[in-house]
Amino acid sequence: MMPASTRTWLAPVLGIAVFLGGWQLTVRAFGIEPYKLPAPSEILGELIRGWHGYLDDAIVTGREAFAGFVVALVLALVVGTLMAHSRGLEQAVYPVAVLVQVTPIIAYAPAVVIWVGFGFRSIVMVAAIICFVPLLFNTVTGLRSIDPATHELLQSVDASRREVFWHLRLPHALPYLFTAARISVGLALIGALLAEGYALVTDGLGVSILRNANRSNVVELWADIYATGLLGAVGIATVSILERVTLRWNPRLTDA
Amino acid sequence: MSPSDPIISLRGVSKRFSTRRGEVHALDGIDLDVARGELVSLIGPSGCGKSTLLRLVGGLLDPDAGTVTVEGAPPRAARATKHFGFVPQTPALLPWRTVRRNVALLSEVNRTAGGKVALTTEVTHALLDEVGLGEFLDAYPHELSGGMQQRVSLVRAFALGAPILLMDEPFAALDEITRAEMRYLLLRLWEGTGATTLFVTHSIAEAVLLSDRVVVLAARPGRIQVVEDVTLPRPRHEAQEDGPEFVEQVRRIRHALLQGRSA
Repeated sequence: MMPASTRTWLAPVLGIAVFLGGWQLTVRAFGIEPYKLPAPSEILGELIRGWHGYLDDAIVTGREAFAGFVVALVLALVVGTLMAHSRGLEQAVYPVAVLVQVTPIIAYAPAVVIWVGFGFRSIVMVAAIICFVPLLFNTVTGLRSIDPATHELLQSVDASRREVFWHLRLPHALPYLFTAARISVGLALIGALLAEGYALVTDGLGVSILRNANRSNVVELWADIYATGLLGAVGIATVSILERVTLRWNPRLTDA
Repeated sequence: MSPSDPIISLRGVSKRFSTRRGEVHALDGIDLDVARGELVSLIGPSGCGKSTLLRLVGGLLDPDAGTVTVEGAPPRAARATKHFGFVPQTPALLPWRTVRRNVALLSEVNRTAGGKVALTTEVTHALLDEVGLGEFLDAYPHELSGGMQQRVSLVRAFALGAPILLMDEPFAALDEITRAEMRYLLLRLWEGTGATTLFVTHSIAEAVLLSDRVVVLAARPGRIQVVEDVTLPRPRHEAQEDGPEFVEQVRRIRHALLQGRSA
């Protein structure tokens, strides 16, 4: 038995190595032509050779996705706080939120670009829309998830609603918000990549993916995909680190 | 108001709850006076309204009929001026606050309430030291045992410096050995303050050991069956628990509870 601390980093590294190794062997063994599916060694080689360009595109897309996430988070906190304090408002907002959620983002991405205009702002808007509903629902659930005994304890000294919010509701909502943030990393990237295709911008991984796909630059296309995956991984890692620092009181995290 | 007037007074208090299965008459015609500095236990079968009674006194619920007064005023006024140190059934600690910051919670909220002054940090830490938590000031609740968490909850109520303590079966979830320790711990803390205390319990021995008087309630509707004076001298100690006087007190309360059930 290896120590748990070694296992926690070794196992994921092994998993990725086996995945890429299997891919590499499959491509070689079946003689798949590089213009159909390149081997990971070629893709990684391209990524390393042209790292500067991929990094620039990733920064552009990452900035769009992050801005969209922040806009969605602020809106979700404001609307979610109002909903958590009013059942009527919650019931009124709920069907609208569900409609937004079940309508695929592809359906309204072009319409958002027409409405907001070309460029950065419409991309942020699309990324924000796609993150908003999961953040909203988790905010409401989290703000409502307070322990009744602790709530009564605060009422026994006549705590105001504001004090109950800051001392009880918001901290209780944090684990829910981190869960939603984790989901939002992937969603915001989907929104940003997709909207780049409509917003007539010249930089970003979404633009690069479309360009390379149209020109059949398959290795470069896959390098874009790898860069997008790495960008998402950086996002998830950032959320996880923030979660560990913020929720160090949470036994679920410290026992892991 | 003279010092001999009761600090808590209930007259003809009734409380009903509407549930899906109809109306529940939780309490009916309750008359009770509690003198300053008294420790009074409320005991009875489940559904007798003992926790409801505690919440009516604490201003967390309003009666449907009758009046409740605390220091001559409505309970809500006493609640607004932080007259109540509440100890719930569960420790109800904030998991993101250390022990040190959990015991400070009640003094941190509703700061504008005049009147009662919370204990200083030094006195509070001395209390934590006394209950054996001096080494755990910076520990988080999940690092503590159930008994330790409930001790934090007790100190949190005492740290408020409130003249009235309301305790809702605070030891119910603890194992028997920890419970026994907690009872004497509570007595030690309480004797240092002289706070008027209402203590809800379903343990007869616990009620006798702690109380000046035991209010025996009967259920459906919740009403006072009898009020028993406990004449055991203070400070209470473990040897008393085996004495004939203690056994006799326990016997009388058990009979009152049985009578309330058959009535």
